[in-house]
Parts: sequence; structure tokens; C-alpha cells
Amino acid sequence: MNDIEINSVTKRFEDTLAVNDISMNVAKGELFGLLGPNGAGKSTLTKMISGILNPTSGTIKVGNYDIQKDSMKVKELLGVVPQDIVLYDYLNAKENLSFYGRLYGLSGKKLKERINELLKFTQLDKKAVKRHVSTYSGGMKRRVNIAAALLHEPQVILLDEPTAGLDPQNKHALWEIIQSLKSQGKTIVLTTHMMEEAEELCSKIAIMDQGKIIALGSPSELVKKIKLENTITLVPDKTSARLIEEIKSISGVKNAYTAQDENEKTETIKVITDNPDDILSDVVASTVNNGTKVLSVQLSRVTLEDVFITLTGRSLRE
Amino acid sequence: MKVKRAINQVAAVAKTDFLGVLRNKTAIFFTLLFPLFFIVIIGFTFGQSGTTETSSIVVGVVNLDGELIAVNATNSINGTIGDLLVEALESANFTIYGYDDYGDRDTNGTAAYAISRGDIDAIMVIPANFTETLSFQYTDNLGAQVATQSHLQLHVDPTDTTGALITQQSILGFTSAFVKQYQQVAIQQVPADMQSYIQVLADPITVLVSDAEVTEEELQWIDYMVPGTLGLVLLWSGLNHASMTIATERTKGTFQRMIIAPVSPTIVLLGKFISNLTLVYMSGFVMLVSGVLLFQVNLYWNIPVIILAMFLGSLSAIGIGLIISSVTKNEEAANSIAVIISVPLQFFIGAFFPLTMMPEAAQVFGEALPFTKLVNIMKDVMTRNLPFDAVIPELLYLTVSGIILFSLGTIAYRIALKRL
Repeated sequence: MNDIEINSVTKRFEDTLAVNDISMNVAKGELFGLLGPNGAGKSTLTKMISGILNPTSGTIKVGNYDIQKDSMKVKELLGVVPQDIVLYDYLNAKENLSFYGRLYGLSGKKLKERINELLKFTQLDKKAVKRHVSTYSGGMKRRVNIAAALLHEPQVILLDEPTAGLDPQNKHALWEIIQSLKSQGKTIVLTTHMMEEAEELCSKIAIMDQGKIIALGSPSELVKKIKLENTITLVPDKTSARLIEEIKSISGVKNAYTAQDENEKTETIKVITDNPDDILSDVVASTVNNGTKVLSVQLSRVTLEDVFITLTGRSLRE
Repeated sequence: MKVKRAINQVAAVAKTDFLGVLRNKTAIFFTLLFPLFFIVIIGFTFGQSGTTETSSIVVGVVNLDGELIAVNATNSINGTIGDLLVEALESANFTIYGYDDYGDRDTNGTAAYAISRGDIDAIMVIPANFTETLSFQYTDNLGAQVATQSHLQLHVDPTDTTGALITQQSILGFTSAFVKQYQQVAIQQVPADMQSYIQVLADPITVLVSDAEVTEEELQWIDYMVPGTLGLVLLWSGLNHASMTIATERTKGTFQRMIIAPVSPTIVLLGKFISNLTLVYMSGFVMLVSGVLLFQVNLYWNIPVIILAMFLGSLSAIGIGLIISSVTKNEEAANSIAVIISVPLQFFIGAFFPLTMMPEAAQVFGEALPFTKLVNIMKDVMTRNLPFDAVIPELLYLTVSGIILFSLGTIAYRIALKRL
């Protein structure tokens, strides 16, 4: 069953075609990534899903409700976390959450309980939440920004670049929150231009460029669509045909061969595999057991960045 | 259930908007403290009634009386009455500087030089024959007294029109009383049966001036000013705040987030209106209470009419504010346009000075403004103590203009929603 159904949606701003005839579905409970460079049309698409913008043509359904015909019902189902910090900086976290909660029809004891649950869920310090939001760190603001979208316990959550501008520590803390939401069965659409975020979190990804979806599938499916492969590169003190055969016999190894390192002028062993992390220890153990010293190991993993570059000829950050 | 939810949403929007003002020092200043400062300033300026303190008027006196002149073919140097006039001016608290000569603006030490540099406000030239004329020293060949006029000259500084008018009126008022005294002396010189006739010739018309019984109690100037300032409150708190509220939220993105929620735009608008209205009432309350506490303003408190008129006036102010807020791209632009509109409007609503002082076109414009009607209503009920039915026409005008402007504001707001 799908929580979001997008059919032939186009959005035009005067002369600019921001979204060009997009169709896709997001299944219930799925963590769906919208990946693409700035200006690809991701934010326009999420604004249309959230009802801020109307499509020029096509239809969008959320929870089987048309966003234009049943906009109020769709709004009840949706929790939207905007890219910018959209909070009242003269209010504290509790006051901000109380305001947004009341907009969604919560009040009294239920609202207070829900605010406390979310403050705990987003790991916000009890003392800090009494200060005005203007005094918060970027990470704290992001967490309140997310909490504000979760007050009414929405089934579908739209996260627009939720970790933009955060340091690695805060970024990983937010990833944990997002994964926790997924484990609760929420349907999540995550918009990002960070491929490692999409790879880490999403079960399905749509790569967008110039208003169109250029690739759609799970991260592994997308990687398989291009001819690049994951490679483990070993630099041994010596090589032999027997060693290569032994490595080839390891489960998960697709191929193994020797090659000359052009820079170092040394001989290397290249191991081709789908799951380099899983077999790395076996490859190293097999080499050592063969009486060969391993001087260095390098992992070359095919990423979504490679997929994007292969499909568009440009980097995600361009 | 839906009604309860809607009320809760309106209250949330209104409270958040209101807290935005209460926790913003600049907004607090313009909403609450600025009216207080304003009332303090006008209180100290006009609070002691409309009399002019004469000591602040500096008069340069060129007293030629006492100079050598020929009277009846004999020399005279009598300057007694001229000196008395100067002493009387001083005892009436005018600040007097003496000069020997009227002179010209380029000759240092002369009266004309002093007035051209703003050192004095007026020059009075007492003629050389002042005493001789007023003491009836001129006679004909037969020794009979000859009626002779004396000409006092008064020159005021034309660069300050209002100041010149006040100075002129103050000195003329004083000198007419002084001259009156000598007029009586002159009349007593004629035979008794002719004195009444001469009296009528001297004063064919007498003007008796007094205040009409408009109010039951004697009012000071500030009593008239304070009700008018409520019109300014609408411009400062109503128009300015309304013009900022949606523009600011749109700039910060909070407006988008409100629209994402299951809240109708009407509820957001209603919440904003209530917040604005509360600020207008608070600001007006501060203005009136500070007037009462600090300057003991003497007013009549027809609270229902005051509240109703402020509500109707707020519809217009907030309507204009909504239009500004909706057509501008960000809060800076909204603020600039609000200032450009509200600052000049302050002078056309009759709060600072009467519209009758203005050119006809300006009067027509001022009378068309709903804020002027509010000022008129406030003056009618708070100073003249007029009943409700006396202000119905102006209340109707406020209602119609309020509905029109607020409707236009709502249309602009709805169009702005589509541009988010």
C-alpha cells in the first residue's frame, strides 16, 4: 500500500520548468530519499506534497487523499520539517511546540504530554528548552524544528534537508531520530543532496536532476545500474597464481586479479565484490595464511555520487 | 468540536503574535513606551493651559521719547511716559533689551542688527514725542490743546511665523491696555458733557471675550490633545504592526508552516487581528492612563463609545496594514512603506492641530481619513461629553471605511497566500 502517489506532476514557474512530469510512489513505512543537486526540483516537489504549492498539472495523493481536493485531511496526515529553521525565536522550545500543537488541534493535558514525549524523543535538555530559541545551538534548533512536525503524530513525514549545516555529531544524532521514526512505521520522504545521508538512511531513492527523476530504486539497485564495481585493492609483498585462486574461492568475491600500480610501480591484487565490508577480513586472512604479507589495503566503494556522475556527467555538489 | 478547535487555533495565533511584541524591545517601545513619552512631551508642552510665558519674549526697545524735540516752538526733552511704558513692559515680565537706534541689519549694536540675528523677537520704537503727545502739550496759537496722535512702531521677526504672531499679539495686548489708560486721561480733559460722546468715538465697538460653555468644567489644552492622540495610536500600533506581522512571518518562513497545518487562512487572519486590536487597546490605555495620572487630564469616560470607535478605527488601520504586508516582499520593505504612509498621515487627522489651519485640498483629504473621524469622535465624547447619538454619523463613516479597507486587506492577504 502506498502512502504517497505522484502521477505525472509538473510545476512551472513562468519560464522555468521546476518539476517535469514526475510519477512515483512511496510505500507505507518506507524511508524514501529524494537525492539531487540544488535546483533539481526536490524542494518544489516536497512543497507540492505538503500543499504549499499547487501542481501545474498532475495529481498527488497522500494517504489516498488528493492534496487539492482534501487538503485539510492531507494536512492532518502530514508532518513537514522545512529546510530552514522555522521557529519563533522569541519563544522557548515548549512555547513553540505548544503553538504548533494547538494549530493541529491539540490542547490541555494531551498537548503537554505530547510536548514532553517529543522533548525526550529529540533529546532536548529540560533546562535548555526554557530558554528562547534564539539562544540555541544549530543542532538544538534542528531538533525542535523536527519535534514541531511530529506533535500530531503524522503518518507521513517530509524532511527537507534536515541535517543541513550541522556538525557530524549533531548530524548522526538526527539520523538516529530519523531511523527511530522509521522503526515506528512512519512513512518518511527525506530530501537531501548528501549522498552519504541517503545511503545511510533510505531504503529507496529517487535521484532528481533538472526537474526529472533520472533514477529510482534501492541504493544497491542504483549502484548496480552502472558498470562501476566495489573493489578491494591489496598491496602484498609478493603475489602468486595460487593466492589469486584462493581469493577467488572466497564467498562473495566476483573476481580477483593482479595489476600494476601506475604510481608506485608495485604489483597489487584487485578483488571485485558487491559487499567489500563483509569479505574484507576473509581476503586479508587468506592472503596472510598463504604466507604473504599485506602492506596496505584500500576499499573503493561505488557510491550514489558515482551513480549521479555516471548518469548526468556532473557532481551532486555542482 | 470544530468550533472549540478553531477558537484554540485563533487563540494560539493571537498569543504568539502578541508575545512577539511583548518580547521585542523595539516593538514594546513603539507600542507602549512611545505613547507614554509622547503624552509626557505634550503634557509638559501644553499641560499648563494655552497662556504664553512673556518672559520668553525678548523685546528690543528703541526709546526715542525724551529726545530733544520742538513743541509749540519750544524745545522739549520730556520722556516720562516712554520710560513708564518700558517699566510697565518689564513689570509685565517681557525681557527688555534697550537700543539707542533702530539702525539696520549690518550695523552691530542696533536693534535691526539684533533681530536679524535672532537675538530679540521684536522691536518696539517709542517715538520722540510720546510723552508730549499723551500729556497734551501741543497747543494752537490761542493756547487751546491740539489733538495729536503718537505712533508706536512694532517690528516682529518674520522668519518664525508662529512665534511672530504670538509675540505680536502679546505686545499689542499689553500696549492696548497701557494706551487705554492714557485714553481715559485724554477723555477727562474734555468737558464733562462731551466725555460720553468722545468715549464712543474712541471705542465705537467693544469686544468682550470669554470661553463658551462647551464643557461643564474648565479644560486645559492637554485635555483636548489627549483624545486626539488615540488617532495616533491607530497609526502607530494598528497600521504599523499589522503591516509588519505577515511580512515578518513570511520572511522567517513561519507563515508557510502555519499554512501547512490544518488551519484555514481566515483563522490565521482572525488571530492576527485580535493581537493587533489588543495592542491598539493597550497602547490607547497607556496613553489615557498616563494622561490622567501625570497631568490630571479632565475628560469624560464614555467607555462603550471609546471601545467601539477604537474597534472600528482598527479595522481601517489593520486593513491598510494588511495591504502593505501582503504586497511587500519582506519585513524591511513593509516597515518602510508603513512609515512612509503613517508619518505624513499623523498631520492630517487633526490630532496635532486643527484641519482648518490647512489648505482646502489638505482639509478635504484629512476629513476623508477614517482616523480623523476617530479623533473627532474622541474629542466629542471625551471633552464635549456628547451622547452616543451625536457621534453616530462619524461612527457610521468609520464602520463603512473599516469594512472597505479591511476587505481590501483580506483580498490582498489571500492573493499573498498564493505567492508563498
